[in-house]
Amino acid sequence: MSERNRFRSFLALVFLNGILPMRTQPLYLVNTIVSPLAFLFFVSIASHGALFASGITGGLILTILSTGTGIQADLVHYKADLKFQDVVVASPVEAPIYVAGMAFSEFVYSIPGLAVFLLLGIGGLEYTVGGSLTLVGTLVLVWAFASALGFTIATYFVDIRETFVFAPILSLILTTLPPVYYPISYIPARFQWIAYLSPTTYAADLLHRGLCAVGTSCWVPPSWTAELRDWGVLIALTAALFFLAATKARWREP
Amino acid sequence: MTTALSALHLSKTYRYRGGSTQALDDVTFDIPAGETYGLIGRNGAGKTTFLRIAGTLLMPTSGTVMVLGRDIRTEERAIRTRIAMVPQESRPLYFVSTEELILWYLRMRGMDNLESRRRTNGVIEELGLTDVRSRLVSLLSGGQRRRVMVAMVLASDAEVLFLDEPTTGLDPLARREVWAAISRATRERRTVLLTTHYLDEAEALSAHLALLEGGRLRVEGSPESIRSRVQLPYRVTVDTSWTVEELGSYGSVSPIVNGHLLFTREKEAREVVQAALARGSRVSLAPVSLEDIFLQLVGRPLDEDPPAEKEAA
Repeated sequence: MSERNRFRSFLALVFLNGILPMRTQPLYLVNTIVSPLAFLFFVSIASHGALFASGITGGLILTILSTGTGIQADLVHYKADLKFQDVVVASPVEAPIYVAGMAFSEFVYSIPGLAVFLLLGIGGLEYTVGGSLTLVGTLVLVWAFASALGFTIATYFVDIRETFVFAPILSLILTTLPPVYYPISYIPARFQWIAYLSPTTYAADLLHRGLCAVGTSCWVPPSWTAELRDWGVLIALTAALFFLAATKARWREP
Repeated sequence: MTTALSALHLSKTYRYRGGSTQALDDVTFDIPAGETYGLIGRNGAGKTTFLRIAGTLLMPTSGTVMVLGRDIRTEERAIRTRIAMVPQESRPLYFVSTEELILWYLRMRGMDNLESRRRTNGVIEELGLTDVRSRLVSLLSGGQRRRVMVAMVLASDAEVLFLDEPTTGLDPLARREVWAAISRATRERRTVLLTTHYLDEAEALSAHLALLEGGRLRVEGSPESIRSRVQLPYRVTVDTSWTVEELGSYGSVSPIVNGHLLFTREKEAREVVQAALARGSRVSLAPVSLEDIFLQLVGRPLDEDPPAEKEAA
């Protein structure tokens, strides 16, 4: 398959799984924004506005993480219910193109949510050049992590109902409990190590260090060692999950 | 005559905790290029397993299949550029229209926009999907969805098409439209491997047939050659003015509603028909159907429950 045809395949998957269904059923868009906005609303109200800015970074992370939940459900649905994966396997489309196409199509769903939170951030966050680069890098990495997690989980499930059960657990572990919507300093120092068991804490650390609330200092003080640790953990985890998914996943059944 | 597919001592055993099931057992046959080949057999006979192996979805336990001269074990990438499949019980993606699904499937296969549109328009017209071309797939009936799946692969440029029970759930008219489209595919010198429960469909479409039973190839050849292998190649139906005893000397008799069904040879068939006409009885004569042949070869009709799974050691 030529590079041009690979790109056509990739684009077709993005259209089939992302753009066309989103146009047909715009409620999908609302669905991806509802939870992150609801969290932002509650932390802002409960903190009398003090956590509005950190809530925006939390919203960005939660929005992009939802692509992982979406991808595991879609992959299982396409594999087990529609047999669409079989149609794809018995075609010129190669496995990496399918993976990339599915991952990008899920990213499409998170674009409106990201736009909403970035716009809200204009009022609450200072977008410096360095902070913006950190923001883009972190979101790309969280998206890659979420996609890898989605692919890994999808290889273990055979029924879409299993993903319904797993999604709230993931949400609790990755977004509700860890200091994503609030600064890690809110957790007593002796318990902060527990927060670092969740990979999203590292992503939140990066954003809380790189993006500051307007007119204030950042929530997390600058530290090169912590910066390296956060990037390193996220990259290593994403690579490990992709490796696990690639090892477990079977494009052709044995 | 060139060969599109060759199954060579193909076996497949599904292993699971506590046992295994032999789905295919030393199956060997050739499928000529440019024709429709029917794979028939009951549920669990191994048809879908064969299709999945030949379609590079499943690895065999032993043996192999050569598709267009390439080995499915080692050259699957090259094979996949030249095949397309409608899997059993597959359904189209829901939140796109009929036209979009076919068009983007073709684009997914790497086809350019102009050619994709031309082929999409052609197959929509041919399969009677014009009225629903802009309708969301989620709003189509089960039969229409099945037709959309078939339309996708027929519109493709694949040289070998695998259709696993493509007309299940279709009404008679829709089945005929799919048949016509499959026939056109073979006129374009494409090879179609078709599995079906409908023996009339297999007979109408297939230049050659293979009957699988319990994972083994029981009979293979053209419908005519298969028919010639049965001992009683004619079926005569007569009304109740005849008794079983009277008919018994001519061949094998079974009771049917309002009469008798007799399987017999050509000479005896003529005699019975002449005698029945002389007596003023209602009588009909026809060559045995595939259903009858299946019954004679396997001993059970196609829609009867399969025997218990064959456990491998």
